[in-house]
Amino acid sequence: MNNPDGNVNLASLAQIDRLVHEPARLAVMALLYVIDSADFTFLMNQTGLTWGNLSAHMSKLEEAGYIEVEKSFKGRRPNTSLRLSTQGRAAFREYVRKMKQVFKDIPA
Amino acid sequence: MSTQLNLKEIERKAYRSTYQDGLWDIYYGLIVVGMSIFIYHPAEGYSAMNIILSLLIISLAYGLFWAGKKYITLPRMGQVHFGEIRKQKKRTLAIIMGIFVLILIVLVGLTTLGWMNPQASSDVKGALAVHNSELLVVALIGSLILGTSMIVVAYYSDFPRGYYIALMMAMAVFLMIYLNKPIYPILIGGMIILPGVVLFIRFLKMYPLPREEAVRE
Repeated sequence: MNNPDGNVNLASLAQIDRLVHEPARLAVMALLYVIDSADFTFLMNQTGLTWGNLSAHMSKLEEAGYIEVEKSFKGRRPNTSLRLSTQGRAAFREYVRKMKQVFKDIPA
Repeated sequence: MSTQLNLKEIERKAYRSTYQDGLWDIYYGLIVVGMSIFIYHPAEGYSAMNIILSLLIISLAYGLFWAGKKYITLPRMGQVHFGEIRKQKKRTLAIIMGIFVLILIVLVGLTTLGWMNPQASSDVKGALAVHNSELLVVALIGSLILGTSMIVVAYYSDFPRGYYIALMMAMAVFLMIYLNKPIYPILIGGMIILPGVVLFIRFLKMYPLPREEAVRE
């Protein structure tokens, strides 16, 4: 992130993936990163997001190809299982790497 | 705190949340009660009632646990599948528990052999010089096996309350074999069940049934 002359390159901040950077989506992606898969109710409980909020964020992540949605039936109840796609995992890792670099460059 | 540690914490918090319903505590508490009735040796002699009653209690424990998880916990908390590390831990736990079961089978086999061959049994007792403390040794071995196996379960399942349950279980088995009075292990079983019931009530308050659209989603 530093220029050759040692200054912090602020332009590199613009490269941060905004889709991941949003706090609610970051919480969802961090959770899905450390588990295999979860349903909607579990994600709601863990992140504290409302159904509407989570649903909206999920749609954005799904459109970006960051999560995979699997709809099925458990008995007569519909069940939606969500997991991070390979692309989503890579995006999350890259986001973490860039953020670490940003904070490393900023003097405390 | 590093990022890696944070992610670990997120995973651990998610994993441990699956124990918030207190169902494991209730299950283990009932197992202790069932087990104590199984071990209890009445003055008039061991009867089939011991086995029937203990099997009924153990079946009740399993039935309550299964139904509770399926009809109460999962609809409220949601379903989650954990990653490869947790699966690997489960496999390791299964192997260790398998070894424990084998040890138990060997011990039960040796005890049966001892019953069938009183001469060999008294030879062993003589060699160990435990004529007067035979019951104490058996009680210690029993509580050690059960306590240790529960500690292993607690460790590999990342279930902190399991250590308390392990201690209680070991105490229950020791008192049951040594004193042959079921009231103590039943009380100990109650001491395991009670926190489970409190947790279960708290869980019901904390996790109401989700709205219909959340289920449909």
